[in-house]
Amino acid sequence: MLADHAKAIHRVCFGSEPSEADLELLGSRERWLVYRDLVRNRLNHVIGVALARTKNAIGEEVFQRAVDEWFSTGGPTTRYLRYVPSELAEFAIPIWQRTEAPWVADLAGYEITAWEIRYGPPNPTPSHEFAFDRRPVLATAVKVLRLAYPVHNEPAPGAGYEPDPTILCLYRDKNHKAIPRKLNPLAADLLDAWRAGDQTVAESVQQVAAAHKTQIGPDFIEKLSTLIADFLNRGILLGGQDPPP
Amino acid sequence: MTRDVAGIGLGLRYDLATELLERTPKNIAWLEIHPENYIDRGGRYQEMLDLAREDWPVITHGLSSCLGALEPFDASYLKELGTFLRDLEIPWHSEHLCLGGVDDRFFHDLLPLPFTEEAAAIASQRLIEMRDAIGVPLALENASYYAPQGPDGLAEADFVVEVLEKADAKLLLDVNNIYVNGRNFDFDPKLYIDKIPMERVVQIHVAGHFVRDDGLRIDTHGEPVPDDVYELLDYTLRKTGPVPVLLERDNNVPPLDELLSEIDELWTIYRNATGVGDAR
Ligand SMILES: [Fe+2]
Repeated sequence: MLADHAKAIHRVCFGSEPSEADLELLGSRERWLVYRDLVRNRLNHVIGVALARTKNAIGEEVFQRAVDEWFSTGGPTTRYLRYVPSELAEFAIPIWQRTEAPWVADLAGYEITAWEIRYGPPNPTPSHEFAFDRRPVLATAVKVLRLAYPVHNEPAPGAGYEPDPTILCLYRDKNHKAIPRKLNPLAADLLDAWRAGDQTVAESVQQVAAAHKTQIGPDFIEKLSTLIADFLNRGILLGGQDPPP
Repeated sequence: MTRDVAGIGLGLRYDLATELLERTPKNIAWLEIHPENYIDRGGRYQEMLDLAREDWPVITHGLSSCLGALEPFDASYLKELGTFLRDLEIPWHSEHLCLGGVDDRFFHDLLPLPFTEEAAAIASQRLIEMRDAIGVPLALENASYYAPQGPDGLAEADFVVEVLEKADAKLLLDVNNIYVNGRNFDFDPKLYIDKIPMERVVQIHVAGHFVRDDGLRIDTHGEPVPDDVYELLDYTLRKTGPVPVLLERDNNVPPLDELLSEIDELWTIYRNATGVGDAR
């Protein structure tokens, strides 16, 4: 039966130990172990590229243990190879949170976000120029990360990080690289509001400024203009669209 | 509307894209892409595809909708794929005759189907279903495999023909896969080619493969095309006539000039075997 054959292949490829019964059912022990290696090597490779710094920080053995444990839950649910590291990260980061240095989860989260930014969907085309009375249009590949450790800085080998709360906006630049830009808490909340996309720029500025108990005076306006110009220049902000009717 | 695909093509890959898209070599007549690498993806891949389409017709070769799975197709993916393919104006799309996943988990590799009536019935039914859903002609590709299935190495050819006939389908004939299987399972690849209904062949793949210390040949697409595969291509083209031929190189990608000399070699074989042959 094809179903039995398929399920045996699945267990041989992703099980923590391939069973002799499955290998016997499939018929050629040595060649099916070749398949197990081929499948796992390809996935290991893409995961290792996406999380290279994390792997280096916690060591090959600890890293591989989490990957193998994830394999044994059944393997990728995505058809897109580029999303495989994200599935592994979702499984492994909670483990590393319990077992590794406190900054490792931040580092893995930062790396996987950068990976997703590089490979994220195409940008929308805004219908209008950016304006305060319009809803902003953001690039698709933009994410705000609130970190307890400044993991975007490469540490000295083995040194790790001291706590230093850091907010980053990760975005895809014109050369398709994921670039971190530091944000203050108000700018981060603004960007989150713009990402939600249901308010005009003016409405969201008023709401976020109020939440931060910040007066909208000349000083604030000047800083806001500089921030918006920088976001437009970096391709984080693309333009505007009319409010929904 | 579809764009004309003829002569020798090359697989568009990230590692060679920069040089390829800058130089746009005239001896490459068309490019092949894996849609899974481009669907819903911005950044460099989006740019690569846009640039490629300025200079070449592009055709597609799927990785993830292998025809042997038992689960129903993901209808939303097929819809998305169909839209993507129709935008590209491709003459046909191709998928592997293999097992790509089980229980909605994906191997990201091409696992072999048993060469049984049951598997042929399932694969042909799925091929028809997928062809209807994407709304473009669909060819199946014969795969390489490493685990033996009974004493008859040529059983795979009968299996492929059965699926083709049941589904009234087109074939993407991978001559490297046949060569690899022939060496691994000790049959004459030409006898395999002789079993194929040539009128169904719409495209050919050639590639190199890796030979392990124990002699097992692994279909890595990571080595130059060996002479035996060139010879099998010549044998095949004399039977099929001028169907488009793709050089697949996915791993261990050399400088572009090395691939271009392989492309030149393929043109020579193509012209000699078919009497046809213009580059772009
Ligand atoms: Fe192929």
